[in-house]
Amino acid sequence: MKLSKKTPLNKLHRDLKARMIDFAGWELPVWFTSILAEHRAVRSGAGMFDVSDMGRVWVSGRKAGSFLDKVLTKPAQQLEVGSAQLCLLCLEDGGILDDLWVYCVGADRYLIVWNAANIEQKLDWLSRWSGSDPDIIIEDTSPDTVMLAVQGPSVCQLKNLKGVSHLPRFGHTQTKIGGLSVFVSRTGYTGEDGFEIISDAANASSLWESFMEQGVQPCGLGARDSLRLEAGMMLCGQDMDTSTNPFEAGVGWLVDLEKGEFIGKSALLEIKRQGIKRKLIGFQMKGREIARSGYKIFKSSQEVGKVTSGGYAPTLGVSIGLGYVPIELATIGTDIEIMIRNKPMAAQVVNKRFYKRGA
Amino acid sequence: MNPKEYKYTQEHEWICPESGNKGKTGLTDYAQSQLGDIVFLDLPAPGTQVEQFRKIGEVESVKAVSDIFAPVSGKVSEVNQTAIDKPQLVNEDPYGAGWLVRLELSKSSELDALMDSDKYDKFVAELSEEESE
Repeated sequence: MKLSKKTPLNKLHRDLKARMIDFAGWELPVWFTSILAEHRAVRSGAGMFDVSDMGRVWVSGRKAGSFLDKVLTKPAQQLEVGSAQLCLLCLEDGGILDDLWVYCVGADRYLIVWNAANIEQKLDWLSRWSGSDPDIIIEDTSPDTVMLAVQGPSVCQLKNLKGVSHLPRFGHTQTKIGGLSVFVSRTGYTGEDGFEIISDAANASSLWESFMEQGVQPCGLGARDSLRLEAGMMLCGQDMDTSTNPFEAGVGWLVDLEKGEFIGKSALLEIKRQGIKRKLIGFQMKGREIARSGYKIFKSSQEVGKVTSGGYAPTLGVSIGLGYVPIELATIGTDIEIMIRNKPMAAQVVNKRFYKRGA
Repeated sequence: MNPKEYKYTQEHEWICPESGNKGKTGLTDYAQSQLGDIVFLDLPAPGTQVEQFRKIGEVESVKAVSDIFAPVSGKVSEVNQTAIDKPQLVNEDPYGAGWLVRLELSKSSELDALMDSDKYDKFVAELSEEESE
């Protein structure tokens, strides 16, 4: 039996009586108080998440930049120190192994932050392409560090974060919070303003507690999922994976086909030339039933696709989801049905960005 | 916390026996705390015949969907429309305003197969212990 890995904050979560579940091999809180309350805290004030399950991998050395250019779908070498970008790690056939953030931290020094799923497979993939080149050093620091996401419209007013409120969107810096050395970026996965903070595992409890003292609501996986879904953000491994290509998943904007050779480029050029046959759409249920991942999508009594993510959208008060349908059904306004417990329930294709900050 | 006069199932439903061989039913406090925020209830229409321990409906929380089982056999005589319109009542007041359906019992002896509050308190305490291990 494989036991779930524990983050450096595990004991604190248990002390707070969080309900713990397994997620991608990690034991994490699904909620502390209530998913809805935590969701609303992030939309209206400030909430924080233990996102230590995300992988934190440093890539450094003289050839670090050119190596990343070879394995990632966007140019890494053009990144300025202090900036970051979201991009994809694709297989040779264009399938999506992961979406990840790459931060340019210094000359020949990059930080990759990627999803919890398939960490070993992804590390193997990187070392396969780096070979034993001494000028490419890949170091997974995830087990020795902690990562927090502090998110919400009022984060810049927090004492802990005032000092980094000057950071532009996706900007990052090494600094101190309450005397503790941290890496801070203005990024997140909730559709709100916010920061992500990486520090030594030994600092985990002090950091978490100092945010709690400043009134930040601890939030679990439940709100993490409902917030990202409401903001139309995809979860790799669920809404896209090695069997989907970036164009049908709607993340073609993360692929730069103008840049030099990179893994998957020729396949992606061919996919683009042929055009896509299916597309990831957003949908809204007409009733209050909840469409969940794996439910079938129907049109005129024909099965046409599957729901990849679905749930209740607390800010909108409706039931929403994402799923793949044939391209001819992907137009906004198209009526579809979601098969919920053998009953076809009416839904409509809508813009994937269900919730937009300030809208 | 679990009302003394109610009877309980292993699936965490309760029934409050009433005069005229009727009974109000609902989900227990433990059930609602496990489910988390409830956002949708699918309940049987009045007139539906139900059988003890058979599925009669569904409850959706933000996190998961669960079946609801009949604590006893009988006919649905009333459905709590207020709870259907405002499912969070099940979280806020599971033994009161968050009741689900009222049944006309067809076999009141079936109540003997259910747990009394002492037994159910213990049953839940054991489940909670297992969880925290």
